[in-house]
Amino acid sequence: MLHKDLSVIIYGLNAHFMGGVEDNEPPSKRVKASSRELKGVSNGLKEPATYSFGASMARPLAAQGDNEIIGSKGIKKVEFVRIIAEALYSLGYSKTGACLEEESGIPFHSPTVSIFIQQILDGNWDGSIASLHKIGIRDESIIKSASFIILQQKFFELLDREKLMEALKTLRTEISPLSINSNRVRELSFFILSPEFRINGVSGQQLVKPKARSELLEELQKLFPPTLMIPDRRLLQLVEQALDLQREACLFHNSDVGETSLFTDHHCGRDQIPSQTVQILQDHQDEVWYLQFSQNGKYLASSSSDNSAIIWEVGLDCEVSLKHRLIGHQKPVSSISWSPDDDQILTCGMEEVVRRWDVTSGECLHVYEKGLLGLISCSWSPDGKYVFSGLTDKSIIMWDLDGKEMECIKGQKTIRNSDLQITTDGKLIITICKETMILLIDRESRSERCIEEEQMIVSFTLSRDNKYLLVSLVNEELHLWSIEGHIRLVAKYKGHKRSRFIVRACFGGLEQAFIASGSEDSQVYIWHRGSGELIETLEGHSGAVNCISWNPANPHMLASASDDRTIRIWGLKQLHSKQKDNGKSASNNGIHYCNGASI
Amino acid sequence: MDADPRQYEHIKINGKDSHNIILSYLIHGCFKDTVESLVASTGLKVPAAQLEDMEKRKRILHFAINGNALDAIQLTEQLSPDLLENNKGLLLDLLSLHFIELISSKKCTEALEFAQVKLTPFGKVQKYVEKLEDFMALLAYEEPEKSPMFHLLSLEYRQHVADDLNKAILAHACTPSYSGLERIIQQATVVRQCLTEELGKDALSPFSFKDFLKS
Repeated sequence: MLHKDLSVIIYGLNAHFMGGVEDNEPPSKRVKASSRELKGVSNGLKEPATYSFGASMARPLAAQGDNEIIGSKGIKKVEFVRIIAEALYSLGYSKTGACLEEESGIPFHSPTVSIFIQQILDGNWDGSIASLHKIGIRDESIIKSASFIILQQKFFELLDREKLMEALKTLRTEISPLSINSNRVRELSFFILSPEFRINGVSGQQLVKPKARSELLEELQKLFPPTLMIPDRRLLQLVEQALDLQREACLFHNSDVGETSLFTDHHCGRDQIPSQTVQILQDHQDEVWYLQFSQNGKYLASSSSDNSAIIWEVGLDCEVSLKHRLIGHQKPVSSISWSPDDDQILTCGMEEVVRRWDVTSGECLHVYEKGLLGLISCSWSPDGKYVFSGLTDKSIIMWDLDGKEMECIKGQKTIRNSDLQITTDGKLIITICKETMILLIDRESRSERCIEEEQMIVSFTLSRDNKYLLVSLVNEELHLWSIEGHIRLVAKYKGHKRSRFIVRACFGGLEQAFIASGSEDSQVYIWHRGSGELIETLEGHSGAVNCISWNPANPHMLASASDDRTIRIWGLKQLHSKQKDNGKSASNNGIHYCNGASI
Repeated sequence: MDADPRQYEHIKINGKDSHNIILSYLIHGCFKDTVESLVASTGLKVPAAQLEDMEKRKRILHFAINGNALDAIQLTEQLSPDLLENNKGLLLDLLSLHFIELISSKKCTEALEFAQVKLTPFGKVQKYVEKLEDFMALLAYEEPEKSPMFHLLSLEYRQHVADDLNKAILAHACTPSYSGLERIIQQATVVRQCLTEELGKDALSPFSFKDFLKS
């Protein structure tokens, strides 16, 4: 809003100028002030918030030094005003920008820079090179690089207009003498030879069309020291950084924030974390040891010491119903692995066999076994073509889908009741090879790296991005290790209880920002991954909670498996309680299906 | 561990073989006068056709070394038709000689025009692009002697191209492209080096042909 008396209205920055006092005025109250209303304000640091904003800013520059500070973090006023001016120009409000420059007395660019910019946009190459030397850059190499870029543009524009001899002259007399980038000089003289060589043969696109002059300016700007030419959209960048920090600090951030407001700090409430039991699934006949959602979040698979596994379907309303019972194992089913496309699952009977099932039909498609040895873990390869399994003789075996043995990694690679995981890029096999050691085997090179703990390792889980490993230890701690590049311990989480059984933990929530773990005290524990803070303990189970899975497709849905033979589905706290304690309603739409070979 | 010099005494050398080796070397290098002289003193016979060819080759190579590539190319076409057709890389090198000659004489506009007409077609073939870039790079500098490609202006380069041409012409005529003498030296060196390697650390020093000749 520009008025004839040249006042400036920049709403919302009040608080920053006034030393952090909150500005509570609603947006409709725009304060206009003209420079004639100047009220001789001092440094602006101690004035009350209700001051008319425009007036306090409109002061002649002469009295102020370049080092005047705003706020309490050492921000220089001159820089602040220049960034605002840049923001105005970026938004297209050039008149306002010019106004700001005049009213504040702080020029956006020094005059030489302004001339330089204009020369570039006009294509006045010789002039711009001359200005370049007067701008005030100390570093010779920057001047040379900038000259090179400018002259290259000149070269290309000449070539574009078929002025070959002039282009050649530029190359010989102006570009080469700079004595930098000789490879590029080579390429440039090659381009003179023929227009054909400026075209990328494959796509037919012109490879070396001169770029737009504004692009040229952007490239130059990146070369120059930032005080000379302010980087584009710097204010926006700073604001976005602040938003990122707020988000990271938000302990309960578990929803995609559609509306990001700049007016208040980002702060989620506890209500974003699933903390209320919304369903209890009672279809298992004995302790439930393991469960996991499919990658697409549409199914949940659970396994139990009742020798069976169940595939559940997650309905559109997040209601879970029984889809198939997978009968066939003769031993408790200790682990499950979903195929990469979620069409099949593997189940592993404890020191028994591995079975492969079709999710849609519930049929057992194959049984994998190895002589007299028992299998203790199972995992799919990321391409869905192979099955990995740990054996009781501590080796790891790989079959193709039909059961043909492809490979056997011998040696002490995996111990009893052990977890086995393959990274989703197919590169690493991760297994617990000794009581206190996790092994990471590179599938191609066979090289091995390891994570050593001081306490006995109970279980581990891999993050979705393959970069982190969450290790559950016997001393009731969860350790988070970074396994990309240099292996190092990143965080520890405590609070849950574990003494005798295998208790598993998982990553979950939006961008896997949370860690959840079962516990022998029948509760579910949830920590904020970044800060390590325990944010929720969920009560409800009446037996040790063995395993947790967070729905990858729905950050508000959590499932827990317990010794009390039930599975609890946790969701957001509703205003009206929609609890379904009655197990029958949960399996109403399910199909009770006995499948698999029965011996 | 050198062979006992007395062992050499047991090998008989045919005098004629020695002469032929020398002769082939001279013909290969187009040393016309020396050839005539050798023929006169040893009574060896050299077919006239071979002498004529040698004469022609000499002229071609002479043109090449002096930077007169266009004449060299023309004569080559006459002597061995299709040679350059089937040997594009060599043709490119010869054309480059002319291009470089123009640049050395500071005739840049002509050089550019020549390049556009004659050299551009090579740019369509990937394996020649790098060479083309090398040549064109000379254009970018007002003082080509000070550019990264200064070696292209040297006699060595022209010699190198001439040698390649020589070998190509000889090969085209189904004569050996290396002279017998050169082959013998290469053979001896390679064999000695193999022996040295097999001996491993027992060997005293790497084989040097020069030293061997002096001993």
